[in-house]
Amino acid sequence: MAGLVRAGFSFAKTAIFSTSVRSIATTNPLHLREIHERVEGSTKIIEAVNVPSPRTELLIRAENLPTQDAAASTSEKPCYMCALGLDVKHTDVLIVSQFVRSDGCMLPRRITGLCRRQQKKMGKLVAMAQKAGLMINLTPSYCKKDPKKRKDHKKFNTYFDERTIFMKKIPKPVDKFKR
Amino acid sequence: MSAAKRVQQWATFARSWHIFDCKWQDPYESANIIKKYLMGLHKPIYHPMNDCGDVVVAINSRDIALRGDEWRTRAYFHHTGYPGGASWTLAWELHNKDPTMIIKKAVYRAMKGNLQRRHTMQRLFIYPGENVPEDVLQNVTNQIRQIRLVPTRLDQIPEEVTKTYPKVMDYPEDYVLK
Repeated sequence: MAGLVRAGFSFAKTAIFSTSVRSIATTNPLHLREIHERVEGSTKIIEAVNVPSPRTELLIRAENLPTQDAAASTSEKPCYMCALGLDVKHTDVLIVSQFVRSDGCMLPRRITGLCRRQQKKMGKLVAMAQKAGLMINLTPSYCKKDPKKRKDHKKFNTYFDERTIFMKKIPKPVDKFKR
Repeated sequence: MSAAKRVQQWATFARSWHIFDCKWQDPYESANIIKKYLMGLHKPIYHPMNDCGDVVVAINSRDIALRGDEWRTRAYFHHTGYPGGASWTLAWELHNKDPTMIIKKAVYRAMKGNLQRRHTMQRLFIYPGENVPEDVLQNVTNQIRQIRLVPTRLDQIPEEVTKTYPKVMDYPEDYVLK
């Protein structure tokens, strides 16, 4: 009886979820492309146009830099952020904002292509920059853009210490004046 | 005493006025700096019994920045003296009530508790905004350097700078632009 119930449940589950997840496409739908609409007489043509990435020209990679280290020839290749060795702070919004979507969310690792540690670090830096209200043009539509219009403790300026990113437990700041 | 020596004496013991911009500064870090100028510790003639402290004008105290979650974790304690008279005010609540109080308490706490402390505090002027009375501002001769850089918001950076800034991350081939 239990087996019958389980089989019925799994059938119902596949019936519900597989249809909602499945996407039918004649061409590969995922590309760096834009959707254009134009009207020719009585027909409306909607087409997706492949566009070159706006970032490729400005891209900086460690292997292209003139001061290349000999460590690049090792077997395990570091990810591009590790190879660059930049000391990124959460106030460097021009770098941090490259890793977010238009609503200010951190991009997943399959898109950023970072190593695990750098992905974690960049995600925390994005959260810090958002909490400090430094990227208010990259926020969801319902967000109170101006930090001064936020509620309670969120409306005052906050800064963060990047050394706390990989700490298990964040220590309280040392009170030098305590007697 | 010659005239030159007399002028040197005046110049040595004259109070000079310093201005400090608290915008995006940690009050507990900047209290250490302000304290030095208030007590005269930055002068070679300093002595505890020598009244050589300067005047500090702290502006923009409304825009101070606390670290991490300290706005909601730091509490200020007060006791009225009566039973049950204890009260804890969070930093953001105190800052809502009086935007000059946090920096004032930080500087007060940074100094050693002796008889001189309250008189030294009289030489500290704190203003929540940039509006400083003219008679105070005309005395100022020096600016104290800020500890932290004031961060720039992304929306304040011009569009072409954001576009032409060197990029680190590139989208993969199969990414839908949003």
